[in-house]
Amino acid sequence: MELISHFLSSEVMRSALVPALLIAITTASISVMILAHRLSFLVVGVSHASLAGLGLAVVLSLPLLPTVTVTALAVGWLLIPSTTGNLRLNNDAGTGLLFAGAMALGIVLLSTTNRYQVDLFGWLFGNILTISHRDVVWLYVAAIAVLGGLLLSARVWWAIAFDATAVAASGISVSGYRFILHGVVALAVILCVKLAGIVLTTGLMVLPAACAWFWGRSLGTLWAISLGVSLSGTLVGLLVSYAFNWPSGATVVLALCILFVFSAMGAWIKQSGQHRRQRV
Amino acid sequence: MNTPVLQLSGISVGPAHAPFLQDINLELEAGHFLGIVGPNGAGKSTLLSVIAGLIEPASGHVDLFGHCLKRFNRRRLLQRVGFLSQLHDDQLQLPISVRHAVAMGDTRYASPLWRRPSSQQDVLWAMEQVDIADLGDRDFRQLSGGQRQRVRLAKALISRPELLLLDEPSAALDPSAQKRLYHLLRRLCDENQMAIVMVEHDIAAITGHVDSVACLNRRIHYHAMKGEQIPEDIWHAMYGEHMHVIAHDTRCIGCVAEPPASSTAHRH
Repeated sequence: MELISHFLSSEVMRSALVPALLIAITTASISVMILAHRLSFLVVGVSHASLAGLGLAVVLSLPLLPTVTVTALAVGWLLIPSTTGNLRLNNDAGTGLLFAGAMALGIVLLSTTNRYQVDLFGWLFGNILTISHRDVVWLYVAAIAVLGGLLLSARVWWAIAFDATAVAASGISVSGYRFILHGVVALAVILCVKLAGIVLTTGLMVLPAACAWFWGRSLGTLWAISLGVSLSGTLVGLLVSYAFNWPSGATVVLALCILFVFSAMGAWIKQSGQHRRQRV
Repeated sequence: MNTPVLQLSGISVGPAHAPFLQDINLELEAGHFLGIVGPNGAGKSTLLSVIAGLIEPASGHVDLFGHCLKRFNRRRLLQRVGFLSQLHDDQLQLPISVRHAVAMGDTRYASPLWRRPSSQQDVLWAMEQVDIADLGDRDFRQLSGGQRQRVRLAKALISRPELLLLDEPSAALDPSAQKRLYHLLRRLCDENQMAIVMVEHDIAAITGHVDSVACLNRRIHYHAMKGEQIPEDIWHAMYGEHMHVIAHDTRCIGCVAEPPASSTAHRH
């Protein structure tokens, strides 16, 4: 209790708490779609490719967040053929190639300038404690876009993940909905980068639904479990990072990993019990 | 005269020098059950995809319920069509209950989250049609291939379509489940006036249930009505010269033992 009251009395932590919870709610919601559409590697691709946006913003003196966001959206949409199997390469090869190329471009661009005002370490590994007022405004806008997209399209995305041919045969534009989904995922990636950084964003966006996958049996239950996992992982992670002075993003991802291990073990124990009862 | 549920006029698909489908003309009334048979690669699934608006034909047009299928009216017309594609192993790995999987076939399901996606009565009705009412709470991933196929069929039926397109619906079903499926489809045609187009490999299994059979190998070689015999030269045109046609009735069991080098078709 003492730790919590200390945590809440710290102005830095208090100002980081609301954005972190907003990120947790948004990522938990989109996380279910990421797993359903097998887009985990797309998240890796978009987050790493955002380094190219960072490089462009620094070299051309453009505003950071908008430039990185536009780059992420462009990469997300460019990867649609790769994630839907419409490339002649293996599905994951296209994503791997683009993210390696974009990241290399970012590193080269950053190396050509001496203007290192940008907090490169923060971008790579995240730091919610240094979030600015302008970043918070952007977070709200991106979160509203992601959650709005989910409210309007979640059921169609879910049905597409189950049987895209059947959805297309009902006259719905599957390619149109995939375009929106990739855009929403790219926005959510940039939203997460502030907390977990380019390197760890995948953890925030995949682990909540991965925990729920063992237990949910409908879109609603998966979302609810994913939300619970994401919020508790974020809160525990922030508390622990405050207590031990560990990096916040990495600690939150670690907390989510531990929850995943518990969830997987629980599912395994439940399944073993069912098998034993069936044998008896 | 009633408006046909489906009318295909001069449908061709693929390049002109090597079309996948060529000059397909077909008309289907409400309550008619059409079986489509043909060898592998004959274009059976492609034809169903054209009717379902998944593939744009190179020439010709598809009329559904008296209206030409166009981009602007696709959604409206196709909401009255049920479609069951071929079953692939890599599909359908979501952690959902059978009830939820069936509900996804409802036309209301594609609405925003604040709207009701489907009614429980409709879900139950569709599950009852294919004998899976007791599986409602089961995890879809833990079902057998045959059970999954029945769930997919319930999903195609839930909106009570006026036209049902089925691509090998009996795949993964055991013989008794196959028989029940064909009886169900026959009943839907007779009682609900549903028109059905069904692609199947085994003509012997379907001839007792369908109203007509279209023999397809890139083009429709023959359209046989119930009780009509398909001439031998049509079989040869479809399957090649190495095919033996065996006339038999439903009691004939031993006639499948044919020389291994030849392909075999059955007819009643």
